[in-house]
Amino acid sequence: MMVIYFGFILLVAFDKPLLGTQLLPGLSLGMLLGVIVILAAWILTWVYVRWANQHYDVSVRELKQ
Amino acid sequence: MSASADPIAIAFFLIFIALSLGITVWASRRTRTADHFYTAGKSVTALQNGLALAGDYMSAASFLGIAGLVALSGFDGLIYSIGFLVGWPIVTFLIAEPLRNMGRFTFVDVVALRLRQTPIRIAASIGSLAVVAFYLIAQMVGAGNLVRLLFGLPYEAAVLIVGLIMLAYVLFGGMMATTWVQIIKAVLLLGGASLLAGLVLARFGFNPLALFEAAAARYGGGVLSPGRQVSDPIDAVSLGLALMLGTAGLPHILMRFYTVADARTARSSVGYATAFIGFFYLLTFILGFGAMVIIGREAILAIDAGGNMAAPLLSEAVGGRPFLGFIAAVAFATILAVVAGLALSGAATLSHDLWVNVIRKGVADEREQFVVARGATVLLAAVAIALGIAFKGQNVAYMVGLAFAIAASANFPALVLSIFWGGLTTAGAQVSMIVGTVSTLLLIYLSPTIQVDILKSEALFPLRNPGIVTIPLSFACAVVVSWLWPVPAERERFAELERQLHVGVEEPAGARPAR
Repeated sequence: MMVIYFGFILLVAFDKPLLGTQLLPGLSLGMLLGVIVILAAWILTWVYVRWANQHYDVSVRELKQ
Repeated sequence: MSASADPIAIAFFLIFIALSLGITVWASRRTRTADHFYTAGKSVTALQNGLALAGDYMSAASFLGIAGLVALSGFDGLIYSIGFLVGWPIVTFLIAEPLRNMGRFTFVDVVALRLRQTPIRIAASIGSLAVVAFYLIAQMVGAGNLVRLLFGLPYEAAVLIVGLIMLAYVLFGGMMATTWVQIIKAVLLLGGASLLAGLVLARFGFNPLALFEAAAARYGGGVLSPGRQVSDPIDAVSLGLALMLGTAGLPHILMRFYTVADARTARSSVGYATAFIGFFYLLTFILGFGAMVIIGREAILAIDAGGNMAAPLLSEAVGGRPFLGFIAAVAFATILAVVAGLALSGAATLSHDLWVNVIRKGVADEREQFVVARGATVLLAAVAIALGIAFKGQNVAYMVGLAFAIAASANFPALVLSIFWGGLTTAGAQVSMIVGTVSTLLLIYLSPTIQVDILKSEALFPLRNPGIVTIPLSFACAVVVSWLWPVPAERERFAELERQLHVGVEEPAGARPAR
């Protein structure tokens, strides 16, 4: 997640013209990547919660015994 | 529209404020009968806690500030939307479960667990108060502008009145279940913002691209790409760092992980919160660009130099005066709820951590604690009103960005190191928190925001957000001090605690059926 976000921030910081590229009328690359970062945060969190609830907790419970 | 009083909007505003406060009172009565105040906390479900977390997080900054920033500067404002969200996965992966497993009440308790109490509490109080103060300023600026827009009062009078209302609210009703305040508010805010975004999109055939295209047509393609706000690359990275790590250092957010039953629920609640907050920030894309196209930058700037009134103006344009009243009421309820939570955590820090534990060495009766807590609330309100007036015309999302910088520099390093690094010593944590707070405050004072915008002088420090300097500095202080003066006893205690940290507190047999 940090890699995705920092990739995005570094692009914002150092390569503004690239992010300004218009892919479609009204849709710049920067906007698209912004939406993707939000969606990525969503999906990663969801995957982690699923994984932790199904596998990690089981291992922890075994450790306790 | 000029800043003038409007009966219809005001009527709707008052009705919705009264309704939301009524629901809050009703809900808090209901929860009070269910269980004792503190233990009732442990029965909060993942969905409820997720909503409450989202409610705590989606302050005036998100709704008013980001919508305003996007309306005024396009893409640059979205950096805040995205930055505020990416802190959440960090909280989920690193902080939520260990914090819950330690089974304490505040994050300071976790840091202080194997270290010496008094020095840690003093240092952490200073950091927490600084965060609370900047967060409060942002809410005051937002509330002051709202009241001015709606009632046509001068800004200073509006801030003063809002401050007094908030003071009364916290003093008389502050201890009512704040979880319910936040849940109701989160639902209202998500509903109101969705409706507003829907009305905006309806004008563009429900095609966001058509909206963005219209914005580009009116103000040039530059609004869709990074621009003036982040003209300095280092400032952009600095802002990004502060936004990302700050979430994990906000005292009132971290407290919420103690209101649920176990680590699993804590984890799930962050999942819900991330979903709600992510959805909300996607809406800010629409709201911001909608305001840019439908209202126009000039009209937004005419009302408030910080652009904070973009969303309320937009609501009037697409839904008329009653809708303006509704949206203003939602925003105001948001601010009220966040301020109540902030003022309470600030007052608790002053009275509990500083007065009782440090000054009176733990010897103070109930009455004295109560008096000190009330005095602390009045003091905080006075400071918030004064600073709210001083920071007139600043964007509230930007102000919250500064609060995040303090949280990321003062609280985050000590908290993370105390969880993951056994070598951390009392002195290391203390120095890290104090240096983090003081250096951030100093650099904010020397930044262009204070020196150029408020004092009309020259900036001695070039960056508007100091995170890139102060966060590594704070980490370095903790590590260097701990290495130079190691305390073997504190390291040994870490080995004992590590199991509890990752596995959780051993529960008495039969206390809770396994799920």
